[in-house]
Amino acid sequence: MTAAIEIDGLSKVYTKRKSPPVIAVDDLSLSIPAGQIFGFLGSNGAGKTTTIKMACGLVLPTGGSVRLHGFDVQRQRGQAMRQIGAVLEGTRNVYWRLTAWQNLLYFGRIKGVTGQPLKERAERLLRELELWERRNDPVRDFSRGMQQKVAIACALVADPPIVLLDEPTLGLDVKAGRTVKRWVEQLARNEGKTVVLTTHQMDLAESLCDQVAIMSQGKLIANRPTGELLGLFRQEGYELRFRGKIEESVAARFEGFSPREENGHTILSGTISEHGRLYRLLEIAEIQGLELLGVAQADPNLEEIFVELLDRAGKGEHSPAHPMNGRLPHATIREVI
Amino acid sequence: MALAGTVVVNEIQKRFILLWAYKFNFFTQMFMIGFIFVGISFFMAGGQPNPEMLASGLVGYLVWFFALAAISDMSWGIREETQTGTLEQMYMSPLPTGVLMLGRSIASLFISILMVGMSAVVLVLALGVSLPITWTALPVFLLTMAGLYGFAFILGGATLVFKQVEALANMMQNVLLFLNGALLPVDRLPGWMEAFAKTLPTTQGIIVLRRVILDGQSLAQVWQDGSLVGLVINSAIYFVVGWFFFRWCENRARRLGALGQY
Repeated sequence: MTAAIEIDGLSKVYTKRKSPPVIAVDDLSLSIPAGQIFGFLGSNGAGKTTTIKMACGLVLPTGGSVRLHGFDVQRQRGQAMRQIGAVLEGTRNVYWRLTAWQNLLYFGRIKGVTGQPLKERAERLLRELELWERRNDPVRDFSRGMQQKVAIACALVADPPIVLLDEPTLGLDVKAGRTVKRWVEQLARNEGKTVVLTTHQMDLAESLCDQVAIMSQGKLIANRPTGELLGLFRQEGYELRFRGKIEESVAARFEGFSPREENGHTILSGTISEHGRLYRLLEIAEIQGLELLGVAQADPNLEEIFVELLDRAGKGEHSPAHPMNGRLPHATIREVI
Repeated sequence: MALAGTVVVNEIQKRFILLWAYKFNFFTQMFMIGFIFVGISFFMAGGQPNPEMLASGLVGYLVWFFALAAISDMSWGIREETQTGTLEQMYMSPLPTGVLMLGRSIASLFISILMVGMSAVVLVLALGVSLPITWTALPVFLLTMAGLYGFAFILGGATLVFKQVEALANMMQNVLLFLNGALLPVDRLPGWMEAFAKTLPTTQGIIVLRRVILDGQSLAQVWQDGSLVGLVINSAIYFVVGWFFFRWCENRARRLGALGQY
């Protein structure tokens, strides 16, 4: 499979006078196959947005390179930018005073598309996103979800093969979030586009992404097909079942475990990579006077794996993520798995 | 060429739509152009301005208003687009950013011509000022604008890197109003101040425009007396320095990761 995005030894160091340098991205190498939905995960400040912006040519790397379908973003900027459309997080991305139609035509032209092909493409996008009827309304009159749809449509107006979506469902209600999700899926499955999305919504990443990469402190700590990543931790997923409701402050003592209620009982689920930890958690339960109903192995979800991996990366541990014996030989913190 | 044309038309269309969306602001600005000019003229002439003085003042004042618009577009305009994220979208265009920025500048000039032109017509008719504009004035006007936009590029570049340059932009707008000869011909300033004023953008342009429009001089005459040569040199320096400074600032903003910061 050909690579849509090839990131090679990419790094970004911000230097300021009188303050120590900040390493935003540290020697990142990554290859994203064409036609995939690729999830780029990490806590705030992990380096995801900086990486995305370097791929968009908006931030100059300190070292390394990004190639989009073989075109180097720095050296072949024009051709590289034809490969990409992006919706960046935290900003409007479009002109709110312009109508949806005007925005699409404007951004289409600055991306080098003109005339009838541009109009046909704009119409198709607006119809697919159910915005056609309101194409002549200013974007500022739209709901947040509709505004986000216009931004995505503008990113796609020149029909780029790669789409970068930075937090595409942030701030959207459930319905709008679902529409965007369905559409992202359709872009990859039906149109063969490569979609790279960053998100903090692990359920979204788990259900959408073919592959996920997790970053922590500028480094890549995991990069696997989603199913494989979930499979690696299958043996490490545990559920601790306690009688009654547990207070939040008590649940917080079970680091990396998320609580949920079921039939009046509390279930804490998370990953345990070494057996000693299970006994320590049971000790905590005893000290807190919790009544244990049972301990069971359970498939962890992406959120639990994410928390576990960040935890390991933060502690500087070597990987204990092997599904069979609890240790991955030769693994280092640079790439936890 | 076709690409540049598309970019310019695209930007002009957008500017027109935005202008109309903010029409209250547009008409207020037009009123302000007229009101301030009338006020200043009466003040400077002790309440009795004569048409000849008004015509001279109007030429300088209108050029200053172009400066106001150019500085505003390149500083506040860029800052606003940084906040909305549309600037980053522009930088993701496969087209050369130089072409896009030139397109924006030409669109900005086009809108300013519309606004200042309409105000000028109203002022000429209302005050009975004679302003015999001929085609000879066009190259002089374009040269003046080239220097002015070069200067605006300097402020635009500073906006990309430093973000808040309002104080500098305000100061420059006022410096230009008082020192570029818009209100008071620079030859009436003290020697050192006149020398400084002549280094500013638009000063030499106003001198040559007055000679061409009000004194009826030809291009050959203003070339021979050296004033047009001075304008060419002044505008070329501002345009080249402004352009390269802007491109340098773009690179610096990319290095600092500051293109989208505000």
